[in-house]
Amino acid sequence: MTGPADAGSGPGPAGAPPIPVVGAIPAASAAPPVQPPDPEAAGAWLRADGAPVIELRGITRVYSTGRLEVAALRGIDLDVYAGDFLAIVGPSGSGKSTLMNIIGCLDRPTGGTYHLAGTSVETLDDDDLARVRGRAIGFVFQSFNLLPRTSALENVATPLLYQGVGRHERIERAHAALERLGLGDRMDHEPSELSGGQQQRVAIARALVTRPVLILADEPTGNLDSASGMEVLRLLHELNAAGATIVLITHDSDVAVAATRQVHVRDGLLVS
Amino acid sequence: MRYLELVQLAVSRLAAARLRAVLTMLGIIIGVGSIVALVAVAQGATSGITDRIQSLGTNLLTVQPGSTTSGFVRQGAGSATTLTLGDAEAIASLTDVAAVAPQVSTQAVVVAGDKNTTTSVVGTTADYLAVRTYQIWQGSFLTDVANQESLRVAVLGSTTADDLGLDKDAIGSEVLVGGIPFRVVGILQAKGTSGATSEDDQVLVPIATAQRYFVAGTKVRSIAVSVASADTIDLTKARLTAVLQERHGTDGTNDDFSIADQAQLLDTFSSVTGLLTLLLAGIASISLVVGGIGIMNIMLVSVRERTREIGIRKAIGARGSDILLQFLVEALVLSLAGGLIGIVLGVAASAVIAAIAGWGFSFSPLTVVVAVGFSLAVGVVFGVWPARQAARLDPITALRYE
Repeated sequence: MTGPADAGSGPGPAGAPPIPVVGAIPAASAAPPVQPPDPEAAGAWLRADGAPVIELRGITRVYSTGRLEVAALRGIDLDVYAGDFLAIVGPSGSGKSTLMNIIGCLDRPTGGTYHLAGTSVETLDDDDLARVRGRAIGFVFQSFNLLPRTSALENVATPLLYQGVGRHERIERAHAALERLGLGDRMDHEPSELSGGQQQRVAIARALVTRPVLILADEPTGNLDSASGMEVLRLLHELNAAGATIVLITHDSDVAVAATRQVHVRDGLLVS
Repeated sequence: MRYLELVQLAVSRLAAARLRAVLTMLGIIIGVGSIVALVAVAQGATSGITDRIQSLGTNLLTVQPGSTTSGFVRQGAGSATTLTLGDAEAIASLTDVAAVAPQVSTQAVVVAGDKNTTTSVVGTTADYLAVRTYQIWQGSFLTDVANQESLRVAVLGSTTADDLGLDKDAIGSEVLVGGIPFRVVGILQAKGTSGATSEDDQVLVPIATAQRYFVAGTKVRSIAVSVASADTIDLTKARLTAVLQERHGTDGTNDDFSIADQAQLLDTFSSVTGLLTLLLAGIASISLVVGGIGIMNIMLVSVRERTREIGIRKAIGARGSDILLQFLVEALVLSLAGGLIGIVLGVAASAVIAAIAGWGFSFSPLTVVVAVGFSLAVGVVFGVWPARQAARLDPITALRYE
């Protein structure tokens, strides 16, 4: 494996000072600034040739169920650059979930090419896709998807486990990520002992801890009350301001306005 | 992923569902526990039997008459009556023979006062005491004079004496053996062994007296020979064979006697007990297999229940092999922990049984090694399939699983 995996796990010093966050949205609460992506791992690598982080060309995805063939995606061209905050907006059934699965390397396209940070991923095998997911992408899901009966700290540390990071460093980095999301006093709590907003913040900490090149948020506010939803969007905004590349998938145009750029999906095609 | 961390992960997952883990392990605990206990019991019984055989007399050779052929049917060994007192005297004159005790025996009712018992009456000589390693508790043993004069004197085994209510005051009193009055001259010390035929339940009388009153003729039923040294048993056996062949006019193809030594007896017993051990262990292994199926069952349920967890783990970078190892290690931890608990319980159970049965408690490290190996094998065999199911899950489907 070369490309995103290696670059994503670059030898950034664990104790690198965070880039000061100059948030576009004023910090309403006393929440501390979030941890930015590692500048040397993500930033330096992304700016090397100015190529897009995500480059989709003619992506199609056809589901075959028996004799019936359903085209969920019918030719998607999309570029996402480093530092972008892109919202992919569309109603249910539009194909946006399929698109998210492909961008998130959970699925392979039927046709077309997908370059993630310069690496062609549509031909990778399952294990290589798992590596790319672990190192290059941080997921934030609608239903949080934290490991049950597992402390917040262990939840955040788990992605590092699959990268072979030693236990001591895992705990240290998970600790730092949770501190910076204002969950310093909730580290030993299990998901069932946390509110929805707190769970989503744990999930964001888990997405950040690997210093990914891309944060992929799938309806991150869908299961939250409006105050917690706003808080999550504010956090994403802060991360973006600190240099993180974010792709937000939603059906809600009120949520989409938080992004700096929007694309709309309808019937498997992008419409502007 | 490091293996130690996999083990930690598996232990913490299992600890989260303790009751289920313990119930799942129960099959393995019972399987391994019963294997360990049954093998230990069988070994204890074997050593008990071995001790008993050795207590019959050290360096013992037993000469028995050969078989007769009646019509076309070959009768069992000992059915011929070809040994005589003369044979016994000839054997006694050999070098390296320490003592010779010819024997005849019959069953008779023995009456003392208002009590009676049916027991075996053995006619023998003064050497019997030394050959069979008995000791006198009260009075004295049969003498050569008693044999020469065919005196009606008797020595009682300790159990027989108890049955008849006789103790040390009984020396010199009279008992009826098969209706004939005998004087009690001694009572034997108990050998203290347990078993179907007690060494302590018999009445000993001079062989000449027995031949006169109970068994007709001068034939003897067997001749017990005590060899001076264990080193010369084989040599003595050969000499003994030669002497008897000469006396009986046989040449090895038509011998009318057989000579058994302790080694043969031990071999027979150990082959029987070995078979018994194998049988018991085989039955116990069935429960181990059942326990393994229990583990597989629970692991399959667990994979189904934790489908979403598997999806999450895959989304955040776990490869199929990571998931496979996680579930396999869980199955292994279950089976190994069950195996270790089973060993502890099995050893404890066999110690208790040994204490109750009164034989030595023997702890065999080999059993433990085999039991641990078996439980590991069970974990792998029955853990692989559920783990593969988990590893093959599609991350998208798994993430959406409710």
